[in-house]
Amino acid sequence: MSQDLEQSFVKQLKENQNIIHKICRLYTSGQDAHNDLFQEITIQLWKAFPKFRGDSKFTTWAYRVALNTAITLYRKSTRSISTTEFDNSKHFIKQEDYNYEEEEQIKLMYKAVYQLNDIEKALVFMYLEDKDYEEISETLGISEVNARVKMNRIKGKLKKILNP
Amino acid sequence: MEELDLLKKSWQKSEQSFEQVSENQIYTMIHKNSSSVVKWIMIIGIIEFVLVTALGIFIPDDNYDRTLEKNHVGTLVTVITIISYFVSIAFIYLFYKNFRTISTTDSVRKLMRNILKTRKTVQFYVWYNLGMFVIMFIIIMFSFCYYDENFSKMFDKVQLKENASLIWAGIIGLFFIMFSVMFGLFWLFYKLVYGFLLRKLNKNYQELKKIDL
Repeated sequence: MSQDLEQSFVKQLKENQNIIHKICRLYTSGQDAHNDLFQEITIQLWKAFPKFRGDSKFTTWAYRVALNTAITLYRKSTRSISTTEFDNSKHFIKQEDYNYEEEEQIKLMYKAVYQLNDIEKALVFMYLEDKDYEEISETLGISEVNARVKMNRIKGKLKKILNP
Repeated sequence: MEELDLLKKSWQKSEQSFEQVSENQIYTMIHKNSSSVVKWIMIIGIIEFVLVTALGIFIPDDNYDRTLEKNHVGTLVTVITIISYFVSIAFIYLFYKNFRTISTTDSVRKLMRNILKTRKTVQFYVWYNLGMFVIMFIIIMFSFCYYDENFSKMFDKVQLKENASLIWAGIIGLFFIMFSVMFGLFWLFYKLVYGFLLRKLNKNYQELKKIDL
């Protein structure tokens, strides 16, 4: 029984691991920190898995546990993110549609997002994942209206960071 | 915001760029130990609980009991001790219940609130014990001053001295310093241990609360 549970968990996690990778990208810098947070999220997901009944999608549930871990449970400080360390953005775009100007802009954008706090990053993450405000508000535990207002403020903040 | 949409486009294309973790690696990971905040709060909470309880069990000895009896507070102290055992059991139950409710699938804010609540129970337990200690200390001090022969003799001697009031002030001052040092140590312990563990959590919780004001 527990063997089955483990197998089903590992399979689903492997298929959906990019969710965790993407959260690690926003909350850590450097491969070591990335792996460390990835492992902690995996452990928390596994611990919570028996309570996952399948009435929501695996991904929706995983978003929640993963963000919880990155924001709340993860002990190591993520404050020491240095923007110089972050240079893997060049992997993001495939060679054929390489556009120097766009690439530079995206890099700057990542740098700006890094300067946000943990909660703001969570909102940006959900936004980038194309989640609606209902899911954002449910995941974070704030009202939908306030999530919307906060997102607009974050956009303003990012603009200010980009054009000081 | 144009730039953010650009980022979104690139973000959604970035899926292939991550080094993929294999099933075997996931198996290994889920058998490793978590380093989550909750785990540490739980460990520290248990240590606190055991230490404070041990302090109450090991300090009294027969001699102490006999002295209490002689000074007419034996029954009172026994009653208080029994009550405090019941209170401790109630606290153990509360700890257990609190840790059970911490579930990572709650919303971020609810999870934070649960952790902070759990943390408060532990803190409350320690303050309760400190309070009990102070009450016991005061009861025993008074009973000694009133009934103990050695104390009476000493008081009489002090009374005869010229600078009696100065000596009294000294004694009271000494007690005061003892208490301050003890409380200071507890306070420092909290600042260091929990401050370190909960700084990030608290900051993020305040941030969420601010959004919802």
